[in-house]
Amino acid sequence: MWGTLSKPQTKIVTSSARGRWAVRFRKLSNYLFVLPMMIYLSATMAYPIYVNLDMSLHDLNVRTFRSGDAPYIKFDNYKKLINDPGFRHAAGRSLTFTTISLGFQFLIGFSLALFFNRPFPLNGLLRALLLLAWLMPAVVGGTLFRWMADGDYGVFNYFLQSIGLGRYKDYWLLNPDTALAGTIIANVWVGAPFHMILLYAGLQNIPTTLYEAASIDGAGAIQRFIRITLPMMRPVMLGVLLLGFIYTFKVFELIFVMTGGGPVDATTVLPIHIYRLTFAFFRFGEGAASAIMLLLGLLLLAIGYAQLIHAEEAA
Amino acid sequence: MVAKKWNRRDFLKASAFGAAGFVAASSGLSIAKASHPTKSRTRQAATIQVIDPWAAAPQLADAHDAQIARFMESHPNIVVERSEIPFEEFRQLLIQGALANDIPDVVLIDNPDFHAFAALGVLADLTDAIGSWGQSDLYFSGHWSSTVYKGSNYGVPVFSNCLAWFTNTDMLETAGVAVPTTWDELREAAAALTTEDRFGLSLSATHSEEGTFQWLAFLWSAGSDIPTLNDEGGQAALQLWVDLVSEGYMSQGILGWGQWDAKDEFGNLRAAMNMNGPWVLGSLRDDYPDVNWQVSPIPSDKVTTSILGGENYGISSTSRNVEAAWEYIAWTQEPENYKQFLKDVQQFPSRMDVAEDTYWADDPVLSVFLAQIQQARPRAYGANYLEMSNAIQDAIQAAISGQKSVKEALDDAFAIIEPLLSE
Repeated sequence: MWGTLSKPQTKIVTSSARGRWAVRFRKLSNYLFVLPMMIYLSATMAYPIYVNLDMSLHDLNVRTFRSGDAPYIKFDNYKKLINDPGFRHAAGRSLTFTTISLGFQFLIGFSLALFFNRPFPLNGLLRALLLLAWLMPAVVGGTLFRWMADGDYGVFNYFLQSIGLGRYKDYWLLNPDTALAGTIIANVWVGAPFHMILLYAGLQNIPTTLYEAASIDGAGAIQRFIRITLPMMRPVMLGVLLLGFIYTFKVFELIFVMTGGGPVDATTVLPIHIYRLTFAFFRFGEGAASAIMLLLGLLLLAIGYAQLIHAEEAA
Repeated sequence: MVAKKWNRRDFLKASAFGAAGFVAASSGLSIAKASHPTKSRTRQAATIQVIDPWAAAPQLADAHDAQIARFMESHPNIVVERSEIPFEEFRQLLIQGALANDIPDVVLIDNPDFHAFAALGVLADLTDAIGSWGQSDLYFSGHWSSTVYKGSNYGVPVFSNCLAWFTNTDMLETAGVAVPTTWDELREAAAALTTEDRFGLSLSATHSEEGTFQWLAFLWSAGSDIPTLNDEGGQAALQLWVDLVSEGYMSQGILGWGQWDAKDEFGNLRAAMNMNGPWVLGSLRDDYPDVNWQVSPIPSDKVTTSILGGENYGISSTSRNVEAAWEYIAWTQEPENYKQFLKDVQQFPSRMDVAEDTYWADDPVLSVFLAQIQQARPRAYGANYLEMSNAIQDAIQAAISGQKSVKEALDDAFAIIEPLLSE
């Protein structure tokens, strides 16, 4: 209807040869605007990923490192990894670490966001202070927790002792049963404020008129939360969970500083396993293959998320 | 003399070049293997770059600068530029540099890593140069063997060190215990020296090369070795550590301590005995001046031995100044120059002729280390050593934390190590 009206007009403009070129140029010049970004992305993203992919398909190790004749072995590196108990163990550790970390980070972050969503004195200052944990370099945070959980000098043990639970003292990060939990606690401490800040922003965007209207209709606090807050926050929550999952799955420094992946392999998550494969064992091909698998896993997640958002917007 | 710290930008640059180099390498574009030592047209312009892992060790770095200054004074035709990176990042940066064909001419590599880097093709084959130099017989065979990979010679030792046994003289006297010389005496001494507020001894069993380094001294002493890791001797060596922890003579904290942490336990009077290397001597004297200690050989089981540490010089396979680089290395090995440098860095000679010097032989502490170095063995297990070491760390940690029995832990480690030995 509207389109049919405007069509004849464009035809008039493009009737002359000169006009046709003008349009073509304008279309081309549009791409010109995208060009810098394309160059940047291909240099910093596409190219390294391509190189990594190429490495993962070759038998690149100590012997073939410099000779340049690493044989093309198709997906053998991937097959080897899937059958490698070390890789499977690391993938399992990563999943455990990520899901538990994320669960607590999200719950604590959401609670804090709800808390700060009400006006009270010093609200802004306290929020900023909480964010400090997230701003702190992972090496600092990791070292801090490492000493707090120390078996001989740590403040956790001191605390247990002082409340009469001295018999439960432990070398928290050196005990295979508790080390992963220790790194999770540290990671929750680091990550929860990040969740809080994003969720808080989402809460601020919910129009207060909705709550006012609901109150007038007689909705209680719980009903307002379930019927207004949760549905309105859905896209934000999904985004935060996705980002949180990706961030947590990639955590390396924090764990490396706290336990170095040990004791034994209790905290050997995928990024640590990849680091070892590449820089300690010089199994470059396998290291590249596991990096690609990590990337693919996270990419699938991101695509799923995009689909979900798309479906939601269409509805 | 130009000391340059590798900062983040250099690191990123190296990684970027590394990525670029990789495409060339893996897509079959031929990269010249080892550039042949080019005949230097003019001897004036030779500049060689030296890189060491001593960014966090000012004493070593200063001594290295001083050595380079002395060299340049007597060799006006060669300019030596030194750069440094932290020990922990050294391996990683060297690999990235190798991918970018951009490694400094002379590299100082930790001796257990040396075989792996030779295998990676990062180092130039110096067999001919060293052959015509003709001084290889003057070195302790243990350390020299770490410079030889598959029959080819890739370098020269920088210096040697090894582990010895530190004991707190006052604590031993009060408890009426003599310095242990056998494992049985070690068990008894550890028990007698353990009190409410201190442990009998401290070690490092952390999940890194340091943990393996310390335990191998015990493995070898029990008459075993990595290729027979899970035999009786191997089990006895691991059982000893497990017992010392489970009986409360050694803190379970050793699973997290590096050798410097273990030294601090000893200095802070939290442990009566400690196994460590000469690198802690300065700190023990300066940071804990009131502690009264002495050094003895490591208590032994069947074989009296110690484990060898130290660095080796190598020349990068892409160096365009192999001749000048070799000239520099050969100069550092001349006895007078070598002695001066070793005194500055507080390390030990790898050469027999220099080892006879009274500086080491007459000192009550240094002479103990010197005697141990002559019995010490290197970690010369080929290119896959680091992966074997990782399996051993897993075994030590699993057994001490009670996750596996000693036998089970060693069997599992051996299953990983066995195929690596033949590769």
